[in-house]
Amino acid sequence: MSGSPWRLALARLRRNRGAMASAVMLCVIVAASVAAPLYADHVAHTDPFASNVNGTTTVDGREVDVVAPNASGLGSTPIGPTLEGRYFLGADAQGRDVAARMLYGGRSSLQIALIAAVLTALIATVLGIVAGLAGGWIDAIISRFLDLIWAFPVYLLAISLATVLLVQGIELGPITVDASSLWLPAVIIGLIYVPYLARPVRGETLSLRRQEFVEAAIAQGASNPRLVFGELLPNVAPVIIVFLPLIVATNILTESALSYLSIGVQAPNASWGTIVQDGQGLLYTRPWVSIAPGILIVLTVLALNVIGDGVQDALDPRGRIRGRRRTLRRGAVA
Amino acid sequence: MKQRLLVAGSCLVLAAGAAGCGGSDGDGGDSAGTPAKTAEGDHRGGTLTMLWNAPGQSIDTAIAYDQNWQVLRMTGDGLLGWKQVSGPEGTDLVPDLAEAIPEPTDGGKTYVFTLRKGIRYSTGDEVKPSDFTYTLERQYKAAGPAGGFYTSIVGAEACAKKPKTCDLSEGVVADDTAGTVTFKLTAPDPDLLQKLAMPFAFVVPKGTPNEDIGTDPLPATGPYMIESYAPDSEMVFVRNPEFEEWSAEAQPAGNPDKIVMKIGLGLEDATTQIQNGQADWMYDTPPADRLGEISTKFEKQVHVNPGPQVFHMALNTRVPPFDKVEARQAVNYATDRDAVIKIFGGPALARATCQILPPDFPGYAPYCPYTKDPGEKWTAPDMEKARELVEASGTKGEKVTIISTNDETTKAIDLYFVSVLRDLGYDAGIKSLNGGVQYAYVQDSSNKAQMSYSYWFPDYPSGSNFLNVVVGCKGFTPNSSSSPNLAEFCDPAIQKQTEEALALESTDREAANALWTEVDKATTDAAPWVSLYVANRLDFVSERVGGYEFNPAVTGGFMIQKAWVE
Amino acid sequence: MIAFTARRLASAVLVMLALSVLVFLIFFATPGIDPARQMAGKNPTPETIAAIEAEFGLDRPLPVQYLKMMDRLVVSRDLESYSNRGAEILPQIARAAPVTLSLVLGAAILWVVLSVAIGVAAAVLRGRIWDPLLMAIALIGMSMPVFWLGQVANLFTQDRWHDTVLFSWVPPLGYTPLTEDPVLWFKHLVIPWITLAILYIGFYSRVLRAALIETESQDFVRTARAKGISERRVLVRHTLRTSMIGFVSLFGLDLGALVAGGALLTEVVFGLPGVGRLTYRALANLDLPVIMATVLYGAFFVVLMNALVDVLYARLDPRIREA
Repeated sequence: MSGSPWRLALARLRRNRGAMASAVMLCVIVAASVAAPLYADHVAHTDPFASNVNGTTTVDGREVDVVAPNASGLGSTPIGPTLEGRYFLGADAQGRDVAARMLYGGRSSLQIALIAAVLTALIATVLGIVAGLAGGWIDAIISRFLDLIWAFPVYLLAISLATVLLVQGIELGPITVDASSLWLPAVIIGLIYVPYLARPVRGETLSLRRQEFVEAAIAQGASNPRLVFGELLPNVAPVIIVFLPLIVATNILTESALSYLSIGVQAPNASWGTIVQDGQGLLYTRPWVSIAPGILIVLTVLALNVIGDGVQDALDPRGRIRGRRRTLRRGAVA
Repeated sequence: MKQRLLVAGSCLVLAAGAAGCGGSDGDGGDSAGTPAKTAEGDHRGGTLTMLWNAPGQSIDTAIAYDQNWQVLRMTGDGLLGWKQVSGPEGTDLVPDLAEAIPEPTDGGKTYVFTLRKGIRYSTGDEVKPSDFTYTLERQYKAAGPAGGFYTSIVGAEACAKKPKTCDLSEGVVADDTAGTVTFKLTAPDPDLLQKLAMPFAFVVPKGTPNEDIGTDPLPATGPYMIESYAPDSEMVFVRNPEFEEWSAEAQPAGNPDKIVMKIGLGLEDATTQIQNGQADWMYDTPPADRLGEISTKFEKQVHVNPGPQVFHMALNTRVPPFDKVEARQAVNYATDRDAVIKIFGGPALARATCQILPPDFPGYAPYCPYTKDPGEKWTAPDMEKARELVEASGTKGEKVTIISTNDETTKAIDLYFVSVLRDLGYDAGIKSLNGGVQYAYVQDSSNKAQMSYSYWFPDYPSGSNFLNVVVGCKGFTPNSSSSPNLAEFCDPAIQKQTEEALALESTDREAANALWTEVDKATTDAAPWVSLYVANRLDFVSERVGGYEFNPAVTGGFMIQKAWVE
Repeated sequence: MIAFTARRLASAVLVMLALSVLVFLIFFATPGIDPARQMAGKNPTPETIAAIEAEFGLDRPLPVQYLKMMDRLVVSRDLESYSNRGAEILPQIARAAPVTLSLVLGAAILWVVLSVAIGVAAAVLRGRIWDPLLMAIALIGMSMPVFWLGQVANLFTQDRWHDTVLFSWVPPLGYTPLTEDPVLWFKHLVIPWITLAILYIGFYSRVLRAALIETESQDFVRTARAKGISERRVLVRHTLRTSMIGFVSLFGLDLGALVAGGALLTEVVFGLPGVGRLTYRALANLDLPVIMATVLYGAFFVVLMNALVDVLYARLDPRIREA
């Protein structure tokens, strides 16, 4: 009985041309990011993490400085897009290949967005189900705690945590997260969006609890684990799945904002946000350094939004899950 | 105490014909873009708009110890000041509120200043000798940073220990009827006159609250007073109605009627505003990528002047791997100073250096061992030698974390060094902290910071203010966030020479300077730093700004009040 | 009803109190952050640092420091900044608030008008090419990082196309109060308004379209149509009204967040000295009192709007009151 609604949903999704096209685009972006080392080695022939301020490269057969000093002795200008293998999109102020860095940046951005989303999903599911199932004071505490996090303006919470944790990293008993690791922004972003998902999960759990088949199961003496895994999770899962693409999309935007503010991904790691930041000092002379990663962010987030729409249409055609106004709280950074 | 500053070779590097070069000529009206008027009096009027991304901490002269000095000196005066002219004479002391510079008597322990008469604050009250006693007591009572400068004054040691009850009436003797201020010292202090020119000694009226005045400006004695200060958006200066020029050398009258400082604008946008003529001057250096554009299309509006700031990477000599001198020297040999200069902004903005003292500083003798052909100048990195030294040190493969900030240039230089360190075989990375946090963090030895980008410039030209503080044993206090000797360097033999030089300062300046040369050489050999370059100051002004002049003293820079916009 | 409102407001106050403790802990209890050292400036002597610690009570235990700070913030209202010693914070916030309000309210008007137009158009034109096209455009707007969009906008309006007729009127980045020069005030804000609005138009037009479509199929609308009421009247009086309930409540929440200083990046990119930028600079400088003040200021609005929206919704939909 639990098989066919999923199959039906999948079929509906496949028929959604927008969602399919977006899925393809997403796959292309992911594949390109995964292939970053290949690109760097075989196409660009550069190490995108090594400074190359005094290096040279050949463009149209001529040898040019990667970072060319100006005749006046003041300042220097990195090479612009060459549209060739090396320095396809030009170089940044350190003489690094922007295109190669963008692909590596994709890895970081996508990794963080995904890990954070999984973290959010796990924690939110646990909290939501426990709160919905247990009720009473456990529910009250969890709900108040979620309210607290939600009342803290989301971006502020992210920026505060990032600012502070970057000094020392996290050390909670056995769990250590180094300040320069990609896990730090992932954990922070994962935590701040927990209320976003936990509330609908709790709401779904509550409404499920009241339903007859669940009450019957409880009356029959069904134990809690059976209840959770047998009845609740399969019905809560669609809620999570409907929200997941949206959460990943928001995570990408949040991570890029944090990295842009220099409190996300730390150098010399690259992410799309850090490359936009790199390009800030070159905005008026080499705008592509900032524009290109931004375009990738837009395309990825767009694809995820369209897929998210598609998943919603497929799983929840009557908009019951996302329709609740309380759950549609936007959490992106403005 | 004259400081001879060469007008840097930057003048020659800039495209010929750039009329704004160095500002060492006093007349400003020779560039095509400025108005035809020449007589000073014709230029009064107008509002000068300046852009500053992040001004200093405070507008209280007792507290401010940073870039705010450049604007605070337009509103305040002390007994002495640095001559408000461009060129090497700009670090000469001249009398300001005092009538003349006194010769010390009593074995160098007494200075008698006669106060000029009739000078008033912007409130209308007259400046009195007893105000000077109050001003210096306030330095301690308000927990200002400069207490340590004035400890030679009688009573100051007690003030440092118990600030709230500070009483300097015996050390700064004020005679309001005779109009004199007499300084009595516990021991001769040859630098006292220099210290009295610093804004900490700018006079404030008796009764000023003994705490940072915040956004409520102090009464002014200079040609301008601060009308309002909103730390997140702007600071406005207007003419001080009580000001009458008493010495053009010490405190010249101002040309603009009003000066508006807009705070917080990003550097790219600030540069665009100056180009568009929407603002007149930006305090910060335009971003590196705009330098080419402004030095070609707007070359007459670009002014480059030498500054004694030595930029370097400080290496912690007490924490591996840089506790081994071979490792430190290796990084020195491996550094391509041309590349870092390129990142910083090009050869017109900085000159490579290998040593601790800046050029034209007392005791400076060119010395560079860390290059392909060691001698006086740096020419090229020597990677081979560097790698040999790394092997010899036995530190290859160790982890190095550079403590960086979010400042673009700092990060860029640090990233370059990550590359160099990786090339040498180290496992290198950086950690970015907020600007304010970072400086305190790297000073505190308990944080074991291994490497950071830093710069140092002297408050006044004296060896005691440089080598002693920043690489001398005195500059290192363990487990304290106030320990400017970032390298935690303390060599007993070198310290002995330093002490000798300090002792000679008050009796035989030349011998002292000779010793400073030795100290510089020995310290450079021990490589607590990777000295990178000596930076120039770049000022970008709008087309209508005329009369640009640059003063080299520590309160100097672009002399805003002498420029004009009409 | 009153009991419900009272309960909501009481819990709002508690939340803010808890938030203040949370902020305090996050910043004060972190190693490596030493406010006394930061305030002491360049190369202070140990005595100076000690004097500052005594003066600002930084050597007292944490709970005492918390109470002192809250007292100065809420009761005596003279809390001072750490980065700019002596500068009072509340006047700073008072100066910044109108800037943020100007930005946010202007953008809000823009995005509400446009998203209603687009949402209605898309719903009415459903089935034809316009619907997916409009929705695609809406989605793209939603998918842009605001700081990037702002930078691109600046690149063109301030530099590349500044000399053309299109953008020559764009003033340099900054802000002029409405009372000082209304025309300049307006000119300063046009591009920021558009940038901020683009972010939200996408979301709201989709919400409205979805709500319209859902409401349309409901019984009371069909009844109205059957009664012969014109299509236009049906749309305006019935469908739109009902759909706006969800729209308005979402709008309230987002507006609250933005007024609270949520337009942080927009303000930074466009050089507007609003609450968002104040918060950002405080965080960058680790200026703890300002952070505390701005977070609480922001939380106040977020919590207030949350409560208002809850109350509004409860009035309109009695079922929710139980949940």
